[in-house]
Amino acid sequence: MTDTSVSRVRMAGISKRYGALKSLDNASLDLKPGEVLGLVGDNGAGKSTISKVLSGAVIPDSGTIEIDGKAVSFASPADARAARIEMVYQDLALCDTIDVAGNLFLGREPKRRIAGVPFLDKTLMHERARDMLSNLGIVIPDTRMKVENLSGGQRQSIAIGRAASFNPSVLIMDEPTAALAVAEVEAVLELIRTVSRRGVSVILITHRLQDLFLVCDRIQVMYEGRNVAERRIAETNIEEVVNLIVGRKFAARSAGHATERSVSA
Amino acid sequence: MSAEPNAYAGHAPRMREATLLDKIIAHGGVMSIALFFIVCCLFFSLTTGAFLTAPNLLNIVRQSAPLLIVAAAMTFVITTGGIDLSVGSVLALTATLSAAALQAGIPWPVTILLMLALGAVVGIIQGYFIAYERIPAFIVTLAGLSIIRGVALLITGGYSIPIEPTSPFVAIGRAWVFGIPAPALIAIIVLAVAYLAFNETPFGRYVTGVGANNEATRRAGVDTRRVVLWVYVLSGMAAASAGIILAARLGSGSSNAGQGFELDVIAAVVLGGTSLFGGRGSLVGTILGALTVAVLANGLILSHLSPFFTPIVTGFIILVAIWLNFRLFKGGARRR
Repeated sequence: MTDTSVSRVRMAGISKRYGALKSLDNASLDLKPGEVLGLVGDNGAGKSTISKVLSGAVIPDSGTIEIDGKAVSFASPADARAARIEMVYQDLALCDTIDVAGNLFLGREPKRRIAGVPFLDKTLMHERARDMLSNLGIVIPDTRMKVENLSGGQRQSIAIGRAASFNPSVLIMDEPTAALAVAEVEAVLELIRTVSRRGVSVILITHRLQDLFLVCDRIQVMYEGRNVAERRIAETNIEEVVNLIVGRKFAARSAGHATERSVSA
Repeated sequence: MSAEPNAYAGHAPRMREATLLDKIIAHGGVMSIALFFIVCCLFFSLTTGAFLTAPNLLNIVRQSAPLLIVAAAMTFVITTGGIDLSVGSVLALTATLSAAALQAGIPWPVTILLMLALGAVVGIIQGYFIAYERIPAFIVTLAGLSIIRGVALLITGGYSIPIEPTSPFVAIGRAWVFGIPAPALIAIIVLAVAYLAFNETPFGRYVTGVGANNEATRRAGVDTRRVVLWVYVLSGMAAASAGIILAARLGSGSSNAGQGFELDVIAAVVLGGTSLFGGRGSLVGTILGALTVAVLANGLILSHLSPFFTPIVTGFIILVAIWLNFRLFKGGARRR
């Protein structure tokens, strides 16, 4: 594939504090070109925060970010975008009452000028949209269909297709398969594979652990803002990942506290 | 197991070309108002001899020109999820000020340009508070409605200001060009431009985008605040044009003109299937909605019924048309 000696993304020593709450505590993240990294952890473990740091939406208190070996600092999502890091937003990506092609090209529509006035070049837009979708193996028969008439999986595919069309080097997806029908999850996962085969590195945040084993190369587990474990997908199994996420030791200790309290009460 | 192509087979049946029924449902709003429009026209054609005559039909278009022009701009405003309640007041202010300006000896082309600029300035001020200060459009334009009407009343002291019938200015409201009344011609041009802008330009696309999902449109790199500012500039200028046409047709500028005009405009737009929640607009629907309101008013008078029936019947039609529209849309949503 691509040269794997230099990391596409290397985040180290990332901390972020919200008042008394330490959302990220010396967290790190390493991502190779074309790699699919599963980021898992319980609610509040910091997986969304670290992905927001990478996409420029959250500015960390400390820590370093390197992209392809060069140190960067993102002050806004636009900076991250300029470094070709794209985030797929779950519900914030699509306009329901606009058609498929219009959504794919929103904000960068092909235009042709007639007497100096910019008009939408709809023919070209639909043509390119069809190419874009078929290249990614997304099956939408009619690019003139409004997005509101599509299924959840088709909508998610279009959101990912839109992000992928910006030629990103890193694609971050937060729960792309949540609330999808089984067959649609398959289609979205296949799309993730297609994108990564082209050398795009993917960070996949999900609660659906079975998905991780279908697409990820590696899994990083976070707990209370820290990295607690990292496993190659071939060397682990779903039980181990579950145990890493809930932190067995912590669970046992809190159960102990509960017993003590009930005894003293 | 997952890489097999039949991973897609599971939902192949639901991916199909849009059928004719889909298209009718997608245009449910336009379909229901088209139905009402045709029924109204047929009814008045059969019950009154005078309705379906060329002079009467041209008269309807002439009289409804201000409504059509402002409703076209209001379609943009409502599609962004906003509303402009100040259009009736802007109409009154520009009607009185254009009469006053002509009386003061300002040449008529300059007067027209000044009035359009005034409409644009009103739009910029209201649009600024709505787009950049994030005050709800209803509140900003409700304040505008009150302030602007007040200014018009203050300037005139409540009297109407006459316009010299010899001034070329009145031609805007009274002349006939190629057998079509001038106001109707202006309305047709405005509607054609609005239709193209709404459906064929990036601006029209962003107007829909802002109403459908403001955040997504912003993240796509569109300056959504500027889009919102612009739609209020458009509605201010449209209301100013309507004021000019009305003053020219009546030969005077009255500060009491256009009382409740904003409600007629909103009724026309909503009748045409544009959603008050934004994201879904139709200029064809707006034209049909405005013409339905106009045909009703005209037809009821020709039927020798009390003109006071007009608001009653209009109200009922709004309710039934929106109800039909709503049911159709719900049907469409449930099927997927």
